[in-house]
Amino acid sequence: MSEERTKLEIIAPSVEEAVEKGLRDLGLTEDDVDIEVLDEGKKGLLGLGSRQARIALKIKGASKKKDKAEKNQELVKTREVLPEEVDESKKMGAEPEEVSIARETINIILEKMRVTADVSVRLGESDDNRVQPVLIDIEGKDLSFLIGRKAETINALQFVTSLIVGRELGRWVPLQIDVQHYRQRREDELRKLARRIADQVVSTGRKQALEPMPPNERRIVHIELRDNPDVETESVGEDPKRKVTVRLK
Amino acid sequence: MKGDNLQELVEFVAQSLVDQPANVNVEKQQRGNMVQLELHVAKEDMGRVIGKGGRVANSIRTLLNVAAAREGSRANLDIVEPS
Repeated sequence: MSEERTKLEIIAPSVEEAVEKGLRDLGLTEDDVDIEVLDEGKKGLLGLGSRQARIALKIKGASKKKDKAEKNQELVKTREVLPEEVDESKKMGAEPEEVSIARETINIILEKMRVTADVSVRLGESDDNRVQPVLIDIEGKDLSFLIGRKAETINALQFVTSLIVGRELGRWVPLQIDVQHYRQRREDELRKLARRIADQVVSTGRKQALEPMPPNERRIVHIELRDNPDVETESVGEDPKRKVTVRLK
Repeated sequence: MKGDNLQELVEFVAQSLVDQPANVNVEKQQRGNMVQLELHVAKEDMGRVIGKGGRVANSIRTLLNVAAAREGSRANLDIVEPS
């Protein structure tokens, strides 16, 4: 494979968004690529002198992907021996394969965990990217144990499910699991928090740091304050202690 | 039998993630309400079930603990390197 085909440059408002966009476009995970930051970008004042972030993704071991795809074919075959779940929407046909694979995977995991719940799987909006995320909604009675402390359980469930679905498909797809609309509620909460902190920063003039958060939650804060004319945000520290700081522009 | 679904949970996830699903084996020992599971995979597949920084293994343990708690037991998962 030529150098050009294994390297991709992406430009986006921030490094984090650029990486996320690049991985989506390539259909790969962070483990599959080397990330090189070419330009961290600059926010600028009132949109003046701002510069977008620029990164390069280099694909590690370019032949690996093909092997994976072949092997996944075998896995899919072994999987078909398992008893099929009866599912109304499955009979409709013409369903994207990532949706049916995701449904099958989550149903098996929940069944092994002895969880009874309503599961719905669909493709989400493709957020100016080509890859549409797979959205899994789990609803039912007393499911808070599936969310866990600091979303630990729901994140573990989402991580394992997305790994399995990615392998079955032979390509990575963004996948999000929600339980009892927890993520929506959390997003609303974070947006509110972000605006409150921004107000405090403006009135005191002092920089503030939020609690450490996972990447998806930091992203919500960055986006919420992106168009705020008075403050700017930056993530500092290393995961899992990485946190958003808010300061005056 | 109690704990069988926990064993199946680990088995399903491991088999779905490795290159050699036929070499996945989960052994179970039960002591009172403690379920001890040992996951054996091919040497080449160790990285796939452990993950970067143990992320895959820890996620499997999180799901396992939640599933065990639901039936009033406790579970422990060891991933055993083939000798």
